[in-house]
Amino acid sequence: MDLTLLAWGDAGWGDQMALGALVTLAVAICAYALGIVVGAGLAAMKLSGLPPLRWIAQAYTTVIRGIPELLVIYLVFFGGGAALRAIASGMFGYEGYVDLPIFLTGTICIGASAGAYSAEVIRGAVLVVPKGQIEAAIAVGMTRRQRFWRVLVPQVARYALPGLGNIWQFTLKDTSLISVIGLVEIMRQAAIAAGSTKEPFTFYVVAALLYLGLTSLSNRGFLRAESWANRGVRRA
Amino acid sequence: MTQAAPTETAALLAENVHKRFGNFEVLKGISLTARAEDVISIIGASGSGKSTFLRCINFLETPDSGRIVVGGEEIRVRAGRRGLPVVSDQAALGRIRARLGMVFQGFNLWSHMTVLQNVMEGPVTVLREPKGEVRDRAMDLLAKVGIAEKHDAYPVELSGGQQQRVAIARALCMQPQVLLFDEPTSALDPELVGEVLKVMRDLAAEGRTMVVVTHEMGFAREVSSRVMFLADGRVEEESSPAELFGNPRSERCRRFLASVL
Ligand SMILES: Nc1ncnc2c1ncn2[C@@H]1O[C@H](COP(=O)(O)OP(=O)(O)O)[C@@H](O)[C@H]1O
Ligand SMILES: [Mg+2]
Repeated sequence: MDLTLLAWGDAGWGDQMALGALVTLAVAICAYALGIVVGAGLAAMKLSGLPPLRWIAQAYTTVIRGIPELLVIYLVFFGGGAALRAIASGMFGYEGYVDLPIFLTGTICIGASAGAYSAEVIRGAVLVVPKGQIEAAIAVGMTRRQRFWRVLVPQVARYALPGLGNIWQFTLKDTSLISVIGLVEIMRQAAIAAGSTKEPFTFYVVAALLYLGLTSLSNRGFLRAESWANRGVRRA
Repeated sequence: MTQAAPTETAALLAENVHKRFGNFEVLKGISLTARAEDVISIIGASGSGKSTFLRCINFLETPDSGRIVVGGEEIRVRAGRRGLPVVSDQAALGRIRARLGMVFQGFNLWSHMTVLQNVMEGPVTVLREPKGEVRDRAMDLLAKVGIAEKHDAYPVELSGGQQQRVAIARALCMQPQVLLFDEPTSALDPELVGEVLKVMRDLAAEGRTMVVVTHEMGFAREVSSRVMFLADGRVEEESSPAELFGNPRSERCRRFLASVL
């Protein structure tokens, strides 16, 4: 391995790889946040008393979980691009090439999948919150909103955090799929560097180390969050 | 004989409460009037509807019909979707619940909060009282139920008796007009029942208004101002404890007492 390849600035690829890692992290964080919001919404729909809402949520998770994520990205990117071009030429007479914004598209695709998986985790966590916890909140006169934020969320967080930690790891790694539509994150940057230096192994090892660094750091964060959320629970 | 208390002066009035689950009519018209400082014990066989009645009073279950009046404010129920009863005025409901302190059989302390946080939560979040004041009051109440030194512990670190005493302090900290107890000692090991009953006796002696569903016949007999015997969703018998325990009029009440005493 030639470590001068990783020099900072014009001489090497170090700064580009670091930038790639930042892009990966940014997409992952945005997609994950989206995933939690979508997942919480889907979980609420699945738990609701209204059958149409349950069906919609069920259909969504079935479809998203049943299709490879790469295919979701292709479908959204190319389907969305075609739709955008049709609108551009139909409504504005613009015949040039229009593409979807890559970062946004990638975030939405990865977030959509994170949402489908976290929906199940959150739903399961809501179901194991003892009924008495909420009844005590009702009895003291809390509003729905107070019950939600003061009692339900902290209790659900406790049961959902381990599962949500897993989903974060998947989300972080799945961002590599967005390289296929041209987002220059870790994978794409490594491929570019590999092609131009003819040193693929070096750059893919660097990519692997970057992913490992990100996942192990965030793992530590999640362990901390879990022990905080588990305050007041007797350890087995 | 005292006259039936007019609505305005009763601390709590429940009138002709009906409740059904599906086709099963659990409450077939139950009424209760608690004036200030009354201690009303509700006894009866398991499944007779005692818990359901208590839960209808603070709308943990919404009664199908009937009136609930607390401190002069009435909650109205109307038929909602699919004929299920709903309460339209949620704000009034919140106010009424805040005036009724509830103590559950299973304690139901919030497990992610410390003892002190449990006791402070209602006044701070629901009544929006200043934290400093609430903290002082909460510590006083914890001292009163004999558990001040545990204020930083989490519920899981306490015995059942200690948890129930915290739950009573939590209810008291809301400064409620009426306390509702649903079999507060039934989930406790026998040796822990006494410490909770002692706290409840002290509250009664202070003149707290209480409605207590209980299987502790000693408590019902010695502490209550009135005792209600429920059977199959009806008030089968209601009178002073001396009369109900000494000379029960109904055959069912006699048999029930014979089975538990
Ligand atoms: N949520 C519910 N759904 C259906 N049936 C219920 C429900 N709650 C109580 N019941 C039934 O109502 C009856 C009275 O219950 P409950 O009020 O708990 O009696 P008690 O407290 O006197 O033992 C029981 O037969 C019980 O099974
Ligand atoms: Mg009961």
